[in-house]
Amino acid sequence: MIEVKSLHKTFSKVIALDGLSFSAPEGQITGLLGPNGAGKTTCLRTIYGLLRADSGQALIDGVDANLNPLQARRHIGIFPDKFGLYERLTAREQVAYFATLHGMKGEHRDQAVAEVLKRLDMDAIADRRAQGFSQGQRMKVALAQAIVHQPKHLILDEPSRGLDVMSTRVLRDLLRELRQQGTSILFSSHVMQEVAALCDQVVVIAKGKVAAQGTTEELCELTGETALEEAFVKIIGTDEGIAA
Amino acid sequence: MSNPISIVWRKELKDALRDKRSVMAAMSYAFFGPLLMAVAFYVLISQLTDESDVEIDIKGAEHAPALIQHLQDQGIVERTKPWPAGQQPIILEIAGHWDEHIASAQPAEVILRADFSAQKQRTEIRRVEQAVSSYSRQLGYIRLQMRGLAPQLITAIDLVKQDTATKGSRAAILMGSVLIFMLLSVFFSGMNVAIDISAGERERNSLELLLSQPLSSHQLVWGKALAASCFAIFGGILSVILIPIIFRFLPLHNIGISVVLEWPMLLLIMVLLAPLALFATALQLFVSFRAKSFKEAQTYISFLLMVPMLAVFGVEFSRLKNQILYYLPLTGQHQALLDIIKGETLQWLPMLISGLFTIAVSMLLLRLIGRMLNSEKVVFGL
Repeated sequence: MIEVKSLHKTFSKVIALDGLSFSAPEGQITGLLGPNGAGKTTCLRTIYGLLRADSGQALIDGVDANLNPLQARRHIGIFPDKFGLYERLTAREQVAYFATLHGMKGEHRDQAVAEVLKRLDMDAIADRRAQGFSQGQRMKVALAQAIVHQPKHLILDEPSRGLDVMSTRVLRDLLRELRQQGTSILFSSHVMQEVAALCDQVVVIAKGKVAAQGTTEELCELTGETALEEAFVKIIGTDEGIAA
Repeated sequence: MSNPISIVWRKELKDALRDKRSVMAAMSYAFFGPLLMAVAFYVLISQLTDESDVEIDIKGAEHAPALIQHLQDQGIVERTKPWPAGQQPIILEIAGHWDEHIASAQPAEVILRADFSAQKQRTEIRRVEQAVSSYSRQLGYIRLQMRGLAPQLITAIDLVKQDTATKGSRAAILMGSVLIFMLLSVFFSGMNVAIDISAGERERNSLELLLSQPLSSHQLVWGKALAASCFAIFGGILSVILIPIIFRFLPLHNIGISVVLEWPMLLLIMVLLAPLALFATALQLFVSFRAKSFKEAQTYISFLLMVPMLAVFGVEFSRLKNQILYYLPLTGQHQALLDIIKGETLQWLPMLISGLFTIAVSMLLLRLIGRMLNSEKVVFGL
């Protein structure tokens, strides 16, 4: 379970998070929906302890990543905002590197790596160096890195950027499967369809605050609209920075 | 092996070894540096031992045919070809009153006009001077004898020069400059890797994810530093091995220099270079982790490379001698290497202390880098 309790964060004069609170329970997919610059990435970075909140707490299974980053990070898989690959390593080596950093070794690791590569349909590119990978292939490597150690929590920052239809389906199936296994999944997005299609719970963020929270249906009910997109626009008061 | 340091180290090493640019950089400096040196020495030696005729302009030769004959015997002849561009002519001018002055035993004026600061012509000018003065001496002896005096009378003191310079110590002058290459090879060889694993990591956007993994930033920095140090020490070892081999092909014995470096000494040099490799890497990482791109890091590091160069060249050319130099990083290794080359007694304790000191400073630097990577300001460049 990921809990965020009244996070505040300012960068010099810009208020990025302004008392943000929500939780992502186990076995559920929680979507952070917000326009560009709403504070989604800042929030996620604070959860895995790369940014320090001015006040408030972000807990992963009760562990604060700001106080005890190593323990907190052992139980999460991260798909960050910016992901770069090591161009001279093969896809398999990259994934294995991160598996090793999570303490996996030997046979067990190799097997886990092979499984995740197969799961993401990456066998064809597994032993190719990352140089020349397409955006979708890079995305898959980053995803594989995030889930190879079977984390209890998965944090994804806009995971469907640049994916083609087939890859998007692979991603959705994967997330549903992980939810089935009890993983708590938190992902940010500004793509409405995806949120509507996947999420058990939607947290709408605007200007560093939770503007609304609930299932897709609840949000629609709340605003009296039938489509999530309309509901969303009504909630944040503008349609700036949103993709349908 | 599940120690995060060794995981990072192995990955970075594998990554760097696949990078042709890094490998080439590590090798080329260690290789071409000594080679360049050898070519320079080769030219120098052949100039020093040049026994061909010295060709100069002689004015008024008709006045003193005996002197001209004497000069010719000494290998100094009248020039027929024009002087090459950029070279000042060496002119020997014999005054018209030669016969008269010689006959009346007055000093006859002979003018030697040349650029006395020209490095290339120094030997030639000296040979002309020697030839003229030996002729002058001969003439003087003859005059004394003709007046019934023993020529020894004008030699009040017989200064006997006994050169105590051993072949080794003479070589030290030469090897001093070679040492600089050995020391600097450590700084140059790991440079590319150091940039790639720090500023490069940031440039390709992989730093954020790496810092979000369950390992401390200190472990990360150590793993990376060890990987780059491996390249640095590899370059160092390569130059230590290559330099004696290259020197074997130089006709150093022609100028009375012998360079004999035994294997134990070479091994000792390698051991001395090891802490320096860590130090060089720590300095480079310290600078390039602050840079946002490969290019920016390269700019910073080229400035940083001035530091060891200035330190070593400064000590070398100012002939600075101070016991404290034996204990500091870089200068400590430099002094120890000088002693090894000169064949002087080695100061083991200062050697050990400077090695430990170098390691301590490197560890401090790495700790600072680790702390730096914990700061969101540095990581995200806020």
